[in-house]
Amino acid sequence: MRALCWNGVNDLRVETVADPEILNPQDVILKVRLTTTCGSDLHLIDGLIPTMREGDVLGHEFMGEVVDVGREVTKVKRGDRVVVPSFIACGRCWYCQHDLYSLCDTSHPKPELQEPLLGYPTAGIYAYSHAFGGYAGSHAQYVRVPFADTDCFVIPDGLADEDALFISDAAPTGFMGADFCNIQRGDVIAVWGCGGVGLMAQQGAMILGAERVIAIDQYPERLAKAAAFGAIPLDFTKVDVIDALKELTGGRGPDACIDAVGMEAAGTGLQGAYDRVKQALYMETDRGTALRQAMLAVRKGGTLSILGVYGLIDKFPLGLLMNKGVTVRTAQQHGQAYVPRLLEHALRGELTPAALATHRFSLEDSPTGYHMFKHKEDGCLRAVFMP
Amino acid sequence: MTGAASEPDLAAAARAAITIGRPADELRTLWLDPKTQSRIWTHFAEVTARDTRSADWVARGPAGGEYRWCTDTVESGLDQIRWTSRDGADVPNTGDLAFRLAPGDRGTELHLAVRFDPPGGVVGEAVSKLFHIVPGEIVRTALYKFRALALTGEIPTTDPQPAARHGGIDR
Repeated sequence: MRALCWNGVNDLRVETVADPEILNPQDVILKVRLTTTCGSDLHLIDGLIPTMREGDVLGHEFMGEVVDVGREVTKVKRGDRVVVPSFIACGRCWYCQHDLYSLCDTSHPKPELQEPLLGYPTAGIYAYSHAFGGYAGSHAQYVRVPFADTDCFVIPDGLADEDALFISDAAPTGFMGADFCNIQRGDVIAVWGCGGVGLMAQQGAMILGAERVIAIDQYPERLAKAAAFGAIPLDFTKVDVIDALKELTGGRGPDACIDAVGMEAAGTGLQGAYDRVKQALYMETDRGTALRQAMLAVRKGGTLSILGVYGLIDKFPLGLLMNKGVTVRTAQQHGQAYVPRLLEHALRGELTPAALATHRFSLEDSPTGYHMFKHKEDGCLRAVFMP
Repeated sequence: MTGAASEPDLAAAARAAITIGRPADELRTLWLDPKTQSRIWTHFAEVTARDTRSADWVARGPAGGEYRWCTDTVESGLDQIRWTSRDGADVPNTGDLAFRLAPGDRGTELHLAVRFDPPGGVVGEAVSKLFHIVPGEIVRTALYKFRALALTGEIPTTDPQPAARHGGIDR
């Protein structure tokens, strides 16, 4: 089959690789219908995440059609149109039983690689370095999906492929970030980042009853999309974000702040320059501008919900969180806990994930798609590949 | 854990603990199943059952080294399983697995200790050189595989289809 392979820093090529096969009895093979870029792929492509290997097939956000079924799979069958969360979960360990699917105890094939980094292994994930399992990704004609009964969700008739696609990752990640905020009547939620996850966090906060959602970014087309969703847009290059948020909240500050930016945050001023230099020298992997701003902006006793992917960060003002009594919630997406309700929200039009798809490419043109996505050319929010 | 005078000294053993959300008797039965033993040590050795109490082990080291021994289960009580290698083992060793009730709804704690006694060597370092894997990783990985098998009936793998070409090299 054809697949998009990582061959080194910023070296992506579409190559012919072996077709995946059923390896364990609860596996299925999907024919990939749609697969999309994610901001976290850029960390891999840029070499900020260790344990990538030459030839790694990229892609962890996808939907497709079941074409082969392992002998112990009972809930999905050949021909089913399904969406699959990016983290692989068994559904039976203590973590899965407590809806903490990205922390699954049993789906990581190489726990010995990850344990030294995190203390304990997490769930495996498609195409996210070998420390995260070394599973082949979805930017390919076919992909192997373990634990299909837990991880494959049949897409209801009437929901388009492009809506279902983002319910693989951007939508559940964003919605989980809003869910972390424990939104109460009258709450104002500020979201840093209007990429796929940020926009889905904004819609999620609205679905969960936020009084007002404020969207922070610098790209006019992304801020326009947030405004179209019903959020109040703030361009951090044009206003002082802290002052603007106080003004918009009567001096209280947002009840919860969601960081949907992560380690490659663009920053302004001295702190932004400091972070860019240290990241370039590999002295830290992360530029934490958005996170530090969210920590300062959140009201006393409020919630900081971190969805951005981080590695190492310095100058992290922990005392600020402590003195303000801030609750921090964070996780990789526990998608399996959210996908069923998100499919329903999307069917009812309350969630509009397909709005994230701005550019479409064949798999053969996927390196061009990543280039456009990385450099945000032509307003590219998400590039979608059709293998 | 192994206080009786006749029991082996496990002070220098490699140890690991894991919690599995299943009852101890079920886990004990699964551990003693010869098919289980052949599946959970594959990162370190080929294990082939002779019968329900004895197994042949072949561990392969770097540069073609091959080390063989046979183990016998010497105790298989409700709370503890012990095994030891027979005389003539290339690398004499002994193992001890204890089952303890975990708190709340967490199931059973498994505490595994395996001691290798390579002839004439300092234990940890010599074992690492023989097998190309540190003793701690031998026991931890076996427990991870056992937990996956106990909870899901399978052991996660990407072999022979890792994401990368020919298994690849970390970059």
